[in-house]
Amino acid sequence: MGRAVTLVKDSAPAARKARPAARATEGRPGRRRENLAGYLFMSPWIAGFLLLTAGPMVASLYFAFTDYNLFTTPKWVGFDNFTKMFDDPRWQKSVEVTAKYVIIGTPLKLLLALGVALLLAQSRRGQAFYRAAFYAPSLIGASVSVGFVWRSLFSDGAVVDRTQTFLGFHVGGWVGSADWVLYCLVALTVWQFGAPMVIFLAGLKQVPKELYEAAEMDGAGPLRRFWNITLPMISPVLFFNVLLETIHSFQIFGSAYVVSNTYCGPADGTLVYTCYLYQQGFKNSQMGFASAMAWMLLLAVALVTAVLFWSQKKWVHYEEDAR
Amino acid sequence: MGTSRNPERRTILKAAGASAAALGLAATTGCGGESGSGNGAVTIRYSWWGAEERAKKINRTIALFEKKYPKIKVKTDFQTYQSFWEKFQTQAAGGNPPDVFQNAVAFLRKYDKRRILLDLKSQVQAGNLSLDHFRADVTKVGEVDGKQLGIPVGSNTMALVVDKKVFQKAGVEPHAGWTWDDYFKALKTVHDRTKVPGDTGYFTIMYLYDLYLRQNGKAFFAKDGLGFDQADLTEWWTDGYNRVKAGIVTDPKVVQQDMPKSSLSAGHGASEFTWDNFTVRYSAEGDSTYGLAPIPTTDGKHTGQYLASLMLSASARTSHPKEVTQFIDFMVHDPEVGKIMGYDRGILATTEQYAAYQPADAVSKEIAQYEEDTAKSGVLGTITPHPSGADTVEAAFLRLGGDLGQGKTKVTDAVKQFFTEAEAAFQA
Repeated sequence: MGRAVTLVKDSAPAARKARPAARATEGRPGRRRENLAGYLFMSPWIAGFLLLTAGPMVASLYFAFTDYNLFTTPKWVGFDNFTKMFDDPRWQKSVEVTAKYVIIGTPLKLLLALGVALLLAQSRRGQAFYRAAFYAPSLIGASVSVGFVWRSLFSDGAVVDRTQTFLGFHVGGWVGSADWVLYCLVALTVWQFGAPMVIFLAGLKQVPKELYEAAEMDGAGPLRRFWNITLPMISPVLFFNVLLETIHSFQIFGSAYVVSNTYCGPADGTLVYTCYLYQQGFKNSQMGFASAMAWMLLLAVALVTAVLFWSQKKWVHYEEDAR
Repeated sequence: MGTSRNPERRTILKAAGASAAALGLAATTGCGGESGSGNGAVTIRYSWWGAEERAKKINRTIALFEKKYPKIKVKTDFQTYQSFWEKFQTQAAGGNPPDVFQNAVAFLRKYDKRRILLDLKSQVQAGNLSLDHFRADVTKVGEVDGKQLGIPVGSNTMALVVDKKVFQKAGVEPHAGWTWDDYFKALKTVHDRTKVPGDTGYFTIMYLYDLYLRQNGKAFFAKDGLGFDQADLTEWWTDGYNRVKAGIVTDPKVVQQDMPKSSLSAGHGASEFTWDNFTVRYSAEGDSTYGLAPIPTTDGKHTGQYLASLMLSASARTSHPKEVTQFIDFMVHDPEVGKIMGYDRGILATTEQYAAYQPADAVSKEIAQYEEDTAKSGVLGTITPHPSGADTVEAAFLRLGGDLGQGKTKVTDAVKQFFTEAEAAFQA
């Protein structure tokens, strides 16, 4: 088996170089049949991708340039939906709310994940239990029932309100306050720091012990060691987490929908982007506008991702030695 | 490796091909309709919105129907109000709406414009459905441009529900023909003497504003747009906002947190405008006693009230129009059905059912009395048409009213935004 692989690896580029034109007509029935089998085995996935993902995406790209209410034939309107967006105060509000959520929630969540991962990376008794316990919210956090629990935790006269009042500052329930309700959603996402934490833990395990020993010999304190060894060494993992969590945050929907009792309020306080998209498409029958919004979100996320990838040259440290 | 031709691989290949084909087949058959099996039995789909309690009652009435029409099977589905209409819109857009479904006046024109609703006139002429024995001409609610698009199952009218204990404690007594000035003075007295805000947010309720406008010779909806101008709404909302500030109307923030409970039943307000048949809810949710009071007037006489109604409508796409109509006929006329449903969907619409059901509980009795009194006092007018998009407009009215009540928007901005959104909704 090992030999076969090496063989293919070595001979393929050579063959390509030698007879590029002949490749298309290269008659190797066995290979072709093998490919066919591969595609057949993949066919359920391919069918699903074409029917449930690619198809609707192409359709929504078309709808984005039309006036479409789901019932009548879409009417081509060019870029109207996109220009309308920028004049729409609720769209602006939804961008503002989502940006706030991403900018506040993601760093907080990652900081907490990294902090707890650092604590749990040391060998202690009952460590497995703690890891599981901190990870648990990530498993259940996206569920509707937790949204309901959150709603009641942050209402007037509920635990959070009473604790705050006891501590001497009175805001009332967050759920009913247009200014505070977003932080309720931020708290919910930060609470689910378990998933990035597990990835950080895996990253921390990879850092060679010798580096710390050497640094300690040289008299480096814990802070120095973290800053000069840990952080650079886990920077690829950090980059991965930042990327994943940022993209994920942009797509927040469920918690906003449940915590606000489906209205994305009060006073549009939880009107995150996808929530507004949903309202326009499925409540107000403005499917053209909703499709345009979806593509706008895709563009925004792509842009943010591109910036992150560009920035990694400055701060992400990959081990260069090619093993 | 690549050239080996062992039989095993061929078998696998065949199996893969076969299963792919089977999947494809399954996909096509899965989409096929299922009504109309060999023995002539027909299956119709029926959906509605409402709570668990309503579903239990409806299921009992369906059992009666299936006993009388053994060849018709009814498949059911129900959601909450919002989810119902979201799902319905998607189903209808996909050409697959339920055969028969619960409907309300705000949706008639919207789905008539989209050709989803069956005009039941021809079925009435064919003798499958009777429009006789409906109380107070309530079938008019289901009429649009000469078409009969919905058949009422019950009637309701806007009412004022008061927390009797709080009103008594404050020494305030609502009375027929009282004016808005009387009403707001009463709210202030309630708040001064009991510290409870007098009302839970009248200015965000579209159907109440409709009554106010009707008292003044206008209406919320004209045939294809709004029946009032920005100045009207600015005044209505400015007053509302000032009353929130003054504490006589519940802070919308509190209302938001009380949901899905009403702030009236939560004890955060002493009165609330709503449909009379919803009163049942307050006694179930809250600890106080609740009663119905007359709608305040502008001239000491006209309340602007009318009978609205929940209806049953049929899909224009149904392949069993006859069976569906027989189902509707049974559900609105059969006395046993009336006995089971009670006033769950409003005061029973036909005289057969109205006579068959004798409410045992005090609340239901009071609702029936309220509608009887309202009808007798001669204040009932006819319902104004709801243009397509009325549902979206109602949601925007509620939302923007809440926003400005919380002080998050200026009244002038909210009014402007409301007119913009209403315009878009009518055009969609």
